[in-house]
Amino acid sequence: MIKVVAACGNGMGSSQIIKMKIAKVFKKMGIEATIDHMSVGEAKSAAAGYDVVFCSASLVDNFKVKNNRTKIVGLVNLLSEAEIEAKIIEENIK
Amino acid sequence: MGDLYTTINTASTIFANNILSKPEFFIGILVFIGYMLLGKPIYEAFGGFIKAAVGMMIWNVGAGGLVSTFRPILAGLNDRFQLNAAVIDPYFGLNAASEAIKMIGMSLSWTMISLMVGFGWNILLVLLRKYTKLRTLFLTGHIMIQQATTCTWIVFCAIPELRNFSGALWIGLLVGTYWSVFSNLTVEPTEELTENAGFAIGHQQMFWVWLTSKIAHKFGSPDSSVENVKMPKWLTVFNDNVIATGTLMLIFFGTIMAILGEPYMRSIDKAGFPATLAFATYILAKSLSFSVYLFILISGVRMFVSELTESFRGISEKILPGALPAVDCAATYGFSSPNTVLFGFIFGCIGQFIAIAGLFIFKAPIMIITGFVPVFFDNATVAVFANKFGGARAAAILPFCTGITQVMGGAIAAWYFELYKYGGWHGNIDWDTLWPAIGFIMKNLSIPGLILVIVMMLLIPQLQYRRSTNKEQYFRVTDEGGL
Repeated sequence: MIKVVAACGNGMGSSQIIKMKIAKVFKKMGIEATIDHMSVGEAKSAAAGYDVVFCSASLVDNFKVKNNRTKIVGLVNLLSEAEIEAKIIEENIK
Repeated sequence: MGDLYTTINTASTIFANNILSKPEFFIGILVFIGYMLLGKPIYEAFGGFIKAAVGMMIWNVGAGGLVSTFRPILAGLNDRFQLNAAVIDPYFGLNAASEAIKMIGMSLSWTMISLMVGFGWNILLVLLRKYTKLRTLFLTGHIMIQQATTCTWIVFCAIPELRNFSGALWIGLLVGTYWSVFSNLTVEPTEELTENAGFAIGHQQMFWVWLTSKIAHKFGSPDSSVENVKMPKWLTVFNDNVIATGTLMLIFFGTIMAILGEPYMRSIDKAGFPATLAFATYILAKSLSFSVYLFILISGVRMFVSELTESFRGISEKILPGALPAVDCAATYGFSSPNTVLFGFIFGCIGQFIAIAGLFIFKAPIMIITGFVPVFFDNATVAVFANKFGGARAAAILPFCTGITQVMGGAIAAWYFELYKYGGWHGNIDWDTLWPAIGFIMKNLSIPGLILVIVMMLLIPQLQYRRSTNKEQYFRVTDEGGL
């Protein structure tokens, strides 16, 4: 079971889109995960407690996590299941 | 017969007193029913009820805190300078509209009915797309709550005879038509920006996005893009909504309290300002407490919107598979450089600050306070589209103009719809331009005006379809993105 957080500007709209899409992709790939969503402001402080942070590619620079656990994944198209799947494979998330 | 009538009457009174007047339970029941209709197990439906109800109750805590912090400052401004202040932000606007709706003796459950009607109407319009030429389903839950609430107040304010059940239905049709028509208008610009990523925008600046995509080329060339502009690194801290909101509140409320002066603040806020506390500490604490209550409010909204959006998505997946979803404007930010988002924010801020100074210098009776959401999200979105169609120059000029319009339009709207009394206005750009115009028509023509607005909006996609060069492409279903 991995812990995932989806983050966006205000923690409302696009983070929930990401959350719904990654839930779908994880299910398809057979990866078990709990997924939260929140704003970048909150996620910055909480990131170290998660295995993966998903956010828009434009927000990746906000995260500077120094541990071996947390991966930061930036998405260009938040609604593209193909892109999410490719990133999961590329980052070796399981 | 008489008994049956009495029973129904009693039952509806109990319903009105215990459910309709308690929107947290009303929304909870709606979520519960939605989950059951989707065939989810009963324990999940129960969980949905609890989270929706608790979410709304958390929202109430935040709202109460905002109101009580705000009230003495609003009263002080009015008392000393005959000024009324309004924060232009959808959450402050939500607060103000909710307060106003409660003040006329109505319940927020009415806005929930309008929300459901609007959502259903949007589905119906897309089902009939052959005739309506509408393709997009508005799925941004928190925006739907805010807009349904503000729209409810606009109609209640403009047409008092609609403060009843049929009014809630009319409001649903009105706001649902806006969702369908204006998200549909963003399809082409969004497809061009994202190279057919398969979504449209369902947010607060849909009319403005369309306008930007049409006029941006007049202000510059797409060749000189913002990507090549170097931005100072410290600006990225404003991507963090906690920092950005806290800073804005400190600047504005700090200035207001400093102007009101220490003796005055001490006299009106005896409990919160004990003799041992320095004025500077007081200002810092008071200003930041706005952010605190705002975040409590937002986290409450987030909790119950997650449940609502989940139901909406389930329902639409069943009824409208493959329909084009209209989503949060921030979904476009990945298709531009991070620079562009901050670029829009900065130029929007400059525009807003200049306009606010203008209001002050020309002694307008309404003073506007910058809220984070419109100045950040509207202007970032305008910048993303302006940059695509007109390059860096357009991405500077258009957010600047948008910032000015937000303040001017927001001031007019807060005054016209009397929400300055509650210290807030929705503030996003469509609600500073398009909606005051709609409200004006309704206030002058009453119910016929409301019908006229709906009909006029429904004509827009007809024109859009007639003008589209490739009619087969118009209804293309996307394989990327989608619901």
